[in-house]
Amino acid sequence: MLNSQIAESVIDHALSLGADFAELFVEKNETNVVSTLSDEVQSVESGINFGIGLRLVYGSKVLYGYTNKTDQEELLRITSVLAAKDLRDPVSTAKSFDFNQITDIHPARKILSVDAEIESKVAYLMAADRAARAAGKQISKTRGSCMQREQRVEIFNSDGLYTNDKRNYIRANLTAIASDNGEQATGSWNDGGLLGWEIESAIDPQKTGEEAARQALVNLTAKPCPSGRMPVIIGNGFGGVIFHEACGHLLETTSVAKKASVFHDQMGEMIASSIVSAVDDGTMANEWGSINIDDEGMATQRTQLIKDGQLTNFLVDRIGSQQTGFARTGSGRRESYKFAPASRMRNTFIEPGNDKIDDMIASIDRGIYASHMGGGSVQPGTGEFNFAVTEGYYIENGKIQYPVKSATLISTGPKVLKEISMIGQNFSLACGMCGSISGSVPTTVGQATLKVDDILVGGNA
Amino acid sequence: MKTSEITTEQMAEQVLDQVMSAGATGDLIIDEGETLSLKARDGELEEYKVSSSRIFGLRVIKNGHIGTAYSEAVDADALSSLVVQALNNASFVKVEAHENILPNADHLKTDDDLLCPQEQVSIEQKIEMALEIESKLTAKDKVKSVPYNGVQDITSQRHIFSSAGLSALTRSRMCASYAYALVEDGENSAMQGTSQVSRLFSGLNASTVIDKTYEKCIGLLNGKPIPGKHYDVIFDKECQTSVFGVFSMMFSGKAAKDGINPMREKLGSVITDSRLTIYDHPLNADGFGYHLFDAEGSATEKSGLVVNGCLQTLIHNSATASYFDTTTTGHASRGPRSSLGVNLHQVEIAKGSEDLSTLHSGEYLEVSDLTGLHSGANAISGNFSFGASGYLCKDGERIQAVRGITVAGNFYAMLNKISLIGNQQHWNESRSALMPSIRFSDVAISG
Repeated sequence: MLNSQIAESVIDHALSLGADFAELFVEKNETNVVSTLSDEVQSVESGINFGIGLRLVYGSKVLYGYTNKTDQEELLRITSVLAAKDLRDPVSTAKSFDFNQITDIHPARKILSVDAEIESKVAYLMAADRAARAAGKQISKTRGSCMQREQRVEIFNSDGLYTNDKRNYIRANLTAIASDNGEQATGSWNDGGLLGWEIESAIDPQKTGEEAARQALVNLTAKPCPSGRMPVIIGNGFGGVIFHEACGHLLETTSVAKKASVFHDQMGEMIASSIVSAVDDGTMANEWGSINIDDEGMATQRTQLIKDGQLTNFLVDRIGSQQTGFARTGSGRRESYKFAPASRMRNTFIEPGNDKIDDMIASIDRGIYASHMGGGSVQPGTGEFNFAVTEGYYIENGKIQYPVKSATLISTGPKVLKEISMIGQNFSLACGMCGSISGSVPTTVGQATLKVDDILVGGNA
Repeated sequence: MKTSEITTEQMAEQVLDQVMSAGATGDLIIDEGETLSLKARDGELEEYKVSSSRIFGLRVIKNGHIGTAYSEAVDADALSSLVVQALNNASFVKVEAHENILPNADHLKTDDDLLCPQEQVSIEQKIEMALEIESKLTAKDKVKSVPYNGVQDITSQRHIFSSAGLSALTRSRMCASYAYALVEDGENSAMQGTSQVSRLFSGLNASTVIDKTYEKCIGLLNGKPIPGKHYDVIFDKECQTSVFGVFSMMFSGKAAKDGINPMREKLGSVITDSRLTIYDHPLNADGFGYHLFDAEGSATEKSGLVVNGCLQTLIHNSATASYFDTTTTGHASRGPRSSLGVNLHQVEIAKGSEDLSTLHSGEYLEVSDLTGLHSGANAISGNFSFGASGYLCKDGERIQAVRGITVAGNFYAMLNKISLIGNQQHWNESRSALMPSIRFSDVAISG
C-alpha cells in the first residue's frame, strides 16, 4: 500500500530530527454491513477507510499524526510538524528494513474483497427473523445485522521492521423485541470471529432466532429486581465482560504505567481467590479477539495474567514496556491509523473450574443468577464497575424463583476477584467491542459460570 | 487530472454526475477536519497528536432503492468505486417509497465568524495549558495522578451536495480541555473529572478545570453507600443531560416508523408532569448544538417537543415525515458512513418556578456521577439501573458523600414523578443542552 522507499525516507527524516523511534502504520479497511428490520432489508452500507499513522518517540513522549494521503511530501511535512518542538541532533540511525512475512494462523476463505455474499447474509437474517417470530406471538420485531470487514495493514519502523497482515472479521447479531399490553422487552444473540462468511456453517439461523426470542419473552415476564448486597452467579460466555472491564483493563500498561491501576504495584501478589486463573490469548484460532501480529508488528502470544490467584503478567505494548520495564506481550492494538497503539486485550478469560451450576444455586439463600450480562463501565483508577444484567433470575432458599429486570451489578474489580468462590465447567467465549484510549477494537470475553459471594445488586423492586 | 488538483466542488460534481448518469439521484457528504490533541504526564508533554482527514459519504436512490457507501480514499478510481458500491448496495434493499432527495437547490453556508472563529494563539500556549492542568492538579493534596488530561483544538467542515443542486457548507471549531484526577486517602480512592469547551482557545480557563476536578474528587473521596430506599433525587446538570439523552429515542420519528418508539401512539397525549416543557432549540448560538439546517439542507427551528406535559411532535426528516403524512421538522441526520436518520440538535427544558431554597428543601440525593448509562438503560421499555455517586443533602447542605449505590426505575414513569423544577437554566459542560434542575420524587436507590 505504501512504497517502502517512501517509508524509509520518512523514517530517516524522523531520526534526522532527533527522534528515538519512528513508525508508520498503513491501513486499508473495507467494510460491509447488511441490516434488516424484521423481514425487510433496511440498508446495505459499505466503505473504505484508508490512512497512514505516523508515530515518533522522543524519550517518554509520543508524537502522533495521521493523514489520508500517501505522497512523500505530505508524510515528510507531518513528520516535521510533529517534531518541530523537539528538534535535536540525531541520536540514532534507522536500520534497513528486513521484510517479515508473517504466518497466517487465522486463515479465512469467504472474504469481503472476493464476494460480500449479500444474498446469503440476507437469507440467514430472514431465516433468523422467521424463527424468532415463530417463537411467540409477542415477538413484534427483530433487528438483524451482518458486519464483514477486511483490514490490511503494513507496519514499518526504525528498528528495521517491515511487515504486513490481513485481518478478516465477521459478526452477526439479531435482537428480538417482544411486546405485550404496552410493555416491551428485548433479547439478543450474536456471534463473530476472525474469519470470513464461512462462519455461516456454524451459526444456525433457527437457533439464532429462537435464542433472541427466548430471552425477549423471559424479560417480558420479568419482575422488578430485589436490591442490596447478595451473592451473584454470573453466567458463562459474555459474563466474562466483568473480568474484562473490571480487571483486564487494570492489567494493561496503559493504566499500570500511569499508576492509574490498583494493581500497578502488585506483580507476584495474590490479587484473586486461589481458584482463579486468567489468560489473555491472541493465538486462539479464528476467534474474534485473535490476531497474527499486534499493531506494532509483534507476533501475538498467550499471556497468563493470573495463576491460582497470583498476578503473573501485565499486558504490555512498546511504550508500556519502556515505561514499566516489563517485556512486551504483543498487546499493542489500535482501532485504526487514527490512533497511536496502546496495550489492549485480545481473547481474555477466566479458566474453567470443576463446580456445577446446580450446586451454586443450591448454596444461595437470597441472590441473583445473572445468566446473561450486558455492557458496563469501569473506573480504572479505583476499579469500580457497573454492569447491566440482560437476563437474570432471583434465587431464594437455593432455588430459582422468577426472572428479574433492570438489575445492575456494582462492585470493584479487586474485590470481586477475591469473592469468586465457585467456577463451573461450561466454559465459553463471546465477542464484543472494547473501547479505550486507542479506540474500539474487537475483543473476546469468556468464562464458565461462576459464583461471586458478595456484590451490590441495584434493582427497583 | 489528479483529484489533488481539483476542488471539492468539482469532485462532488463528478460523483453526482455519475450517479445521475446511472439513472439515480443522490447526495454526497464530504467531512474534513484538522485536530490538535495534547496530553501531559509527570509535568511533561506525553502526547502530541496532529491529524488531517477527509471522507466522502454517498447516498443514492434508484427506483426507490437506497444505497450508501463511503471512502477515505479520494482518487478518481476510489470515487468511481464509491458510486458503483452505493448503487450495488441499493439493489439489495427494500423499496422505500418515502425517502427521496429533496428538491432543494439552495446554496447554504454558516457564519465562520460565529462558528469557526480564528485567533492568534501559539502552540506553546496550548502546550502550556496542558502542562499547567496536569502539574497543578498533581500538586494538590491527596492527588496521586492525573491519568487522563488534555487540550484539544478541532476544526471541522461538512459539505453536503445533492443531485438536486443543494450545496450546504458548515465550518466549526471546538477547543476543549479536560482532566480526570485520581485521589487517595488511606484505603479510599476516587477518580473524577471535568471538561470545558469553547469556540476560542482564549475561552478556556485552566483554573476552572483544575478547581472543579479537584472539588469533585475530594468531595466524593470518602463517600459511602446509604440505606436502600426511595429518595427524592436531583441529578446534576451533567447527569440530567445524560439521562435525557439516553432516552431521546422517545422523540424519534425514525424509531416510531420502525415500530420501536414507545411514544408513537401517544402524540397529542399528556406523557409527563404538566410543568415540563421540552424544546429542541438549534438556533441558540450559545450552544454547540447550533444548526441552521439539517443533513438534508432543511431549515431548522425551535420545536416544542413536550409542552406542558403533552407530546407535541416527534422529530422528522423528509422520509419519516412523508411516512407519517406530515412535514419535516428539520431533524435529518446523516454522516458519511450512515443512512438517513433523525437526531435532536440542542435540547432545552423550560425553566420552572422554584427558587433554589425551595428546590433544595428537606432531604434529597444529589446525583453527581452516573455509570453504565447505556448498558443500564432500555430506551424501548424505559427501564434503567445505573451506578451512581453524589451527596445526601438536607436543605441545600451536603451532609454525606455517597458512593457505591444504584439508582433504578423507569424513565417514562419518572417523568410523571417530578416534584419541582428550578427557575434557572444551566448549560452542561459540552454546551449541548440547556436545562433547569429537576427534582424527581420516589426514586429507588440501592446501597
